[in-house]
Amino acid sequence: MVGANDKHILETPVGRMNPITKAGVALFVGLTALILPISWLGFVFTALYFIAAAKGNILKPFAKIIFSFGIPITLMLLFIQGFYSPLNKTFILDCGFAKLGLEGVLNMLHIVGTLLTFLAGLYILNQTTYIGRLVAALNDIGMSPKAGYLTLATLNVVPQMQRRMHGIQEAQSARGLSTGGSALERFKAFIPLLGPVVLSSLTDAQERGMTLETHGFGLKENKHTSLVTNTNTPTDKAILYGAAVLFVVAVVLTVLNGVGIIAIG
Amino acid sequence: MAEEVIRVEDFSFKYRQTKKYALKHLDFAIKKGEFVCVIGQNGSGKSTLASALVGLVPQYFVGNLHGRILIEGHDTQHTSISELSTMIGLVFQNPFNQLSYTAGTVAEELAYGLCNHGVPREEMVERVDRIARIMRIDHIIDKNPLELSGGQVQRVALGSSLIMEPEIVVLDECTTQLDPMGSEEIFDIVKNLNADGMTVVMADHDMERVARCADCVIVLDRGEIVAQGSPNEVFSQPDLREHGVEPPDFLKIALALKEAGVKVDRLPVTEEPTIELVKEAIHS
Repeated sequence: MVGANDKHILETPVGRMNPITKAGVALFVGLTALILPISWLGFVFTALYFIAAAKGNILKPFAKIIFSFGIPITLMLLFIQGFYSPLNKTFILDCGFAKLGLEGVLNMLHIVGTLLTFLAGLYILNQTTYIGRLVAALNDIGMSPKAGYLTLATLNVVPQMQRRMHGIQEAQSARGLSTGGSALERFKAFIPLLGPVVLSSLTDAQERGMTLETHGFGLKENKHTSLVTNTNTPTDKAILYGAAVLFVVAVVLTVLNGVGIIAIG
Repeated sequence: MAEEVIRVEDFSFKYRQTKKYALKHLDFAIKKGEFVCVIGQNGSGKSTLASALVGLVPQYFVGNLHGRILIEGHDTQHTSISELSTMIGLVFQNPFNQLSYTAGTVAEELAYGLCNHGVPREEMVERVDRIARIMRIDHIIDKNPLELSGGQVQRVALGSSLIMEPEIVVLDECTTQLDPMGSEEIFDIVKNLNADGMTVVMADHDMERVARCADCVIVLDRGEIVAQGSPNEVFSQPDLREHGVEPPDFLKIALALKEAGVKVDRLPVTEEPTIELVKEAIHS
């Protein structure tokens, strides 16, 4: 997730978009790629996501994650599905040790395309959305503020625990504990740190609980408000409804295909 | 005559898991605008008293309780902690444990309590701006609270209590973990708030500061009030050390001069009268 001050991302057209729109698009487009038996569809969606990533100023890390995930998974599934899929009937290449089947390759493309579509949508949501805005948007559509608190606190408390761990580690190494060396040695050094980290975290949790109580966390009768706001522009609505309509059309086409009225793929 | 904002009536409390009472038969009142310092050695009951004043005892820390505490006429046992937070704020030692861990910016951290109380956003923005100026954190309002120094975080913590617009603030050794500069910054702000009419109850170990600023000092020892009064009255008591309280250095200087034969009419506990006394001693 981006920080509240990452203006170079948050003030792009994608960054400004309502988080619910981005989450909805990721979900509906991903499901569309999943249910429609069109092997190339996921790649079209992924290509469109490249444009969104460029608009959101995250093209480089986006390309890195897509290719670093896409290439190995494609090769792995090409081997498994292409050579050994039970669907294989039409063989397009004989490699000696096994034959490459067209049906398996198409199935592999469908799986990889679908995975990339979900990955791309969720990555863009994650990398162009400030978590505070996402939680505010989820609260707006009815998520409980307590669930919102859990989401935010979990994400924010991890760096704090890491800092504490680092502090304890430094204190331990100042007293002669070796914290360097091989992976096994580092793991051994890590074990004695766990006790102090867990115990101090429990003490901290009590004080944090007190803070929350004195800040009205337990209030039930009040409507929760937020300093962070989300706009829901006509463009947001159009994109979200567009994605939903796409999904509905995909469902209809899949059903028609299933009953044999039309043939897809 | 100023109205009473805190009334503690024969208040005793024992934590469920302990055998001894942490607070025993406390009985005192604090008037609006007073600066009250609570002193005593570790384990004397200062933090329990601070928790009791804001309702955490007995609503968060359960145990055996006798007597009652009234905050602006509201019994802390029968008023929710959230409701009390609009009358009395609490700031404690570790600044980082007073963050909500839900905020990406100082502004959001300050606004956290207001969000829970359902304050409309427009009012929230106005209050955040005002408190940020008072706390001198308006220049870091867009920063992540987890990236700030201890002193800055403590000012954020104090701000997030004061944004609820309480009449009273309780500071439980809130400068202990800060460097001298950070500590003085917090203290300056508290002094200004007190000068503007806010009631302050502060648990502190810095006796010079207590002597300088308190209208009233309460000394706790093993949960009991063993001395109470103005700084001069309290610090002049000869048995203070027996209760684990070291008097201010200025008083020690004055006592040394007195022992050396210098005529001391009234024992000073702060800097300026001590300097005057030393000057007189030199001239005589």
